[in-house]
Amino acid sequence: MPMDIENTKTIQTWLQGLEDQSGVSRDEGLQRVAVLQDFCALVDKEPDQIIDECLREVEGGKRIRAKGRRFYADKITEFESGIGGGAGEKRQKGNYIRSFLIHNGVLLQTSPLS
Amino acid sequence: MEFKEVVGRRRSIRYFLPWRPVERDKVQTILEAARLASRAGNADFARAIVVERDALSKADLESLTLPVNAGMIEMAPIHIYWWGDLKAFARDMPSRAAEQVDMGVLNISHGWTHTFINEVAYPQVVQAFSSDEVLCAKVTGCEAGLAIGQALLAAVDEGLGTMLCTYPEEPARQVLGVPDSWTSLWVQFVGYPAESWEAGGQRPRPPLGELFHEGKYGQPFRGTEEGAARLRAAKMLQDPAPFSWRKEEVRAVSRMLGLPEE
Repeated sequence: MPMDIENTKTIQTWLQGLEDQSGVSRDEGLQRVAVLQDFCALVDKEPDQIIDECLREVEGGKRIRAKGRRFYADKITEFESGIGGGAGEKRQKGNYIRSFLIHNGVLLQTSPLS
Repeated sequence: MEFKEVVGRRRSIRYFLPWRPVERDKVQTILEAARLASRAGNADFARAIVVERDALSKADLESLTLPVNAGMIEMAPIHIYWWGDLKAFARDMPSRAAEQVDMGVLNISHGWTHTFINEVAYPQVVQAFSSDEVLCAKVTGCEAGLAIGQALLAAVDEGLGTMLCTYPEEPARQVLGVPDSWTSLWVQFVGYPAESWEAGGQRPRPPLGELFHEGKYGQPFRGTEEGAARLRAAKMLQDPAPFSWRKEEVRAVSRMLGLPEE
C-alpha cells in the first residue's frame, strides 16, 4: 500500500530538510521516499513509528533512545546487504534511510566504506 | 609554516582518509609540542594515550564510540586520548619548583627559595588547589588544555587534519588502562584530511571587542585596521565560512567515503 506522504509528519520533515539544507528537489526527494518505503516494508513499520521508537519526549525536548537507534542502525545495514546493485548503490540507498533518521533528529553515523 | 598561518589554518577536520597512515615522527612532533607547553609548577597535568585505530579490536573501538565521534573514530588512523592528571600539581610541584630554583628559573628576585616552596607555595597554594575538587579540576583542565592546544597546532603544521571530540570515560579507562587519578578530557583525531584544508573556511567568531575587554568588563578591546591587515597578510585571518562550493565538497567527500550526503 502506498504511503500517505502528505500526511506523514516525518516524511514532510525529511523532504523539507533535504530541500533546505542540500537543495534536493521535491521530485528527487520522492525518489528517496520510495527507498524508505522498501525499508519500512522490511521492518514492518510506518515512518512515524520508526522515529517514535528512536526518540522519547523529555522535559525541554527529545532524547534519543539508544536501543531504538541501534536497532534501526543494524536494520539499515541489513537492508543494504539485502538489496541489489553494487556496493556504492547499496550504500547510497542505506544512506537515504540514515538521512531520513538524521533529518528527524536521530543522530546516526556510519562507517566509511573501506 | 609560519606561526600565524598555522593558527589561521587550524580548524576541525571531520573527514579523514581512512587508508592513509600517519608517520610516526609526525605523531612524535604533536606529542613534543604538548610536552613543551606552558604548565603551572612545571607539573605533568597533560597525559595522553596514542592509539592506532587499526590496532584496536572491533569491540574496543565500539566501546570508545559515541554518537558524536562515530564517523571520525573510524576514519582517523590515529587517536590521541587526552587525560588530565588530577594529582599532578600536588605530586610534581615541590620537586619541580625546587629544581627550577636550582636552575635559576625561579629566583630570589621574585621571592623564590626552597623555604618559600616548602613553607608557603606548596602548603598554601598547591595543597589548597589540590584538595578542592572544583579548583583542582579547573587547574588541571586549563593546564592540560594548553598542551592540547599546542598539539592541535603541531598537527596542522605537519600538514595533518585534526580535531577534538569527546569519548566515554569509563570504557576508555577499561580499554586504555589509565590510572584512577586521570580524568578524561578529549580525544584528538589525527589523519590526512579527505576534505580540503580550508574545510569550508575560517569559522565565524564574534568580533574581538565582543569577547575581550580592556581595562574592565564592558569596555571592548579595539584592534586597528592596520593590525587586521597585517594578520590577513600573514594568513592568520583568512576567508571566513561559508564558501560557495562547500556543500558540493561535502557531498563529494561523503560520496567517496560512503557517508550520508544530504
